[in-house]
Amino acid sequence: MTFYETEIKRIKDSCFSNDSQIETVIATRNFIDTNFDKDLKLDFLARLRFTSKYHLLRLFKKYYGLTPRQYLMDKRIENSKKNLINGMTVTETCFAVGFESLGSFSKLFKTKTGKSPSAYQKEQFSRSKLDLEF
Amino acid sequence: MKVTLISIPVRDQEKALKFYTEKLGFLKKKDQPLEGGNRWITLVSPEWQDGPELLLEPAPNHFEPCKVFQDALMEAGFPYTQFDVDDVEAEYEKLIKLDVDFSVKPTKMGTVKFAVFNDTCGNNIQIVEML
Repeated sequence: MTFYETEIKRIKDSCFSNDSQIETVIATRNFIDTNFDKDLKLDFLARLRFTSKYHLLRLFKKYYGLTPRQYLMDKRIENSKKNLINGMTVTETCFAVGFESLGSFSKLFKTKTGKSPSAYQKEQFSRSKLDLEF
Repeated sequence: MKVTLISIPVRDQEKALKFYTEKLGFLKKKDQPLEGGNRWITLVSPEWQDGPELLLEPAPNHFEPCKVFQDALMEAGFPYTQFDVDDVEAEYEKLIKLDVDFSVKPTKMGTVKFAVFNDTCGNNIQIVEML
């Protein structure tokens, strides 16, 4: 066994030995992955796993390094990029990935990517056009 | 400041270019000649071509401490860096068929599954799947 494997085993035993907690956070993450476009609330996620919402929040952060809400927002932005590239309008994209207002979507998109959704979309289109022309 | 480049030390740039493109499936983005036969070679993921670039750096051949560090990591089994994959098991099966040598088979640890292979250029590389 290499030193790395010994270290991994040590970390696994000290940080990842609680199987039921791990099962809870993995199930929560999978649920967010398939339901990111719905109106997800922490209360609801917690009820699904028969746990309190603050406990779930702490567990998720402990195992993924992000709160469920931060994870959800990243998931939504990632998917909104795909929709924009596929030609969906900004408004359609906003609602398709689960945001309730165009303002909050545009603001978050710009914070995360450095561009507004429409600027991002234009850039992607002009890029694929350039490929054809050159 | 923006994070756009990940550097990885390699003993033989041409061999590394072959391994990272032909076996791992990365795409060559930049290949620019520098002095003394060295090159500035960067690679990108096929599914994220405007994402961060991987620089194949010939540092171990020119700076002894880099070589010492790289050798020490290799001997201890430590990955030099890691790449994200959707499915560790599938990637493992694919790479095994291409004669890639794994020091750690797909292993579950908490919320991740990972495996470690030898890049034949002096490094252990880890692939990780988030569960």
